[in-house]
Amino acid sequence: MILVLGGIASGKRTYVASLGYDESQMSGSVGSDAPVLCDLQDVLRGGPLSHEELEAAARKDVVVCCEVGQGVVPLDPQERAWRELVGRTCAQLARHARVVRMVCGIPVVIKEA
Amino acid sequence: MRVLVIGGAGSGKSAFAEKLACGLSESRTYVATMARKGREARERIERHRQQRAHLGFRTVECADGSLEAGLRAADKTGVVLLDDLGNLLANALFSLDGSMAKPQAVQDCLLREVVALCSGYSHAVVVGNLVGSEGLLADEYTLAWVRSMGALCCGLAQEFDAVVEVVAGVPCVVKGDIA
Repeated sequence: MILVLGGIASGKRTYVASLGYDESQMSGSVGSDAPVLCDLQDVLRGGPLSHEELEAAARKDVVVCCEVGQGVVPLDPQERAWRELVGRTCAQLARHARVVRMVCGIPVVIKEA
Repeated sequence: MRVLVIGGAGSGKSAFAEKLACGLSESRTYVATMARKGREARERIERHRQQRAHLGFRTVECADGSLEAGLRAADKTGVVLLDDLGNLLANALFSLDGSMAKPQAVQDCLLREVVALCSGYSHAVVVGNLVGSEGLLADEYTLAWVRSMGALCCGLAQEFDAVVEVVAGVPCVVKGDIA
């Protein structure tokens, strides 16, 4: 699996498209058959992934997630918990993935699978 | 060796910093910066405690915004792990009555204190928080903290031998060599 990380508008989707995937192959749902899971950060609004969901995500070709932890700690406790969860879930998925981080549209490989 | 470890929320920077510190020496001192205010803080402290329970750190509490206790405990040997700069700065900058100290003075003082603390040990690992990647910061207090946080990290990065950014648990070396 390739884990694609980056801030808002850093070029994540454009990079995924350059790998040969079109919009119809991208889905924002873990349970979908699409090879690309997009917007993992939004999926995690519903709480942590179950063990099965985590395994399903790890079996995707590509997982795309917005990096959300590098701003100011939010005042709202739910927002804080969500940020923390997004970071930790990415760290879990990164263990067995190739990790690509987008910087100004440039894919920087920070870890091989 | 002195290393600055930076990362965002939930990036795994503390876990990485602990692992790094353990590899540097068997004599380990942990400088704790978090005040036990509220349930969330207590839970976080507990999680970090359990994470390092088996690693044999002696803990020095510095939750009052000053590193004096850590400086007093310095023994010129072993490794010190300071986790993290964000709490240290917030404790030094903001008072319980809601007032804020002069950011420049606090930041200069902390930079000196952190460097002095690290000089008191053979090795040092300092954990910093990446907090500057956000567009709109409304109030002057938050902005002052973010600016001082950035300045502290810049100051320490210049001083230290290595800088590592942790992204999703993956260490990315920005400066120097940690191998």
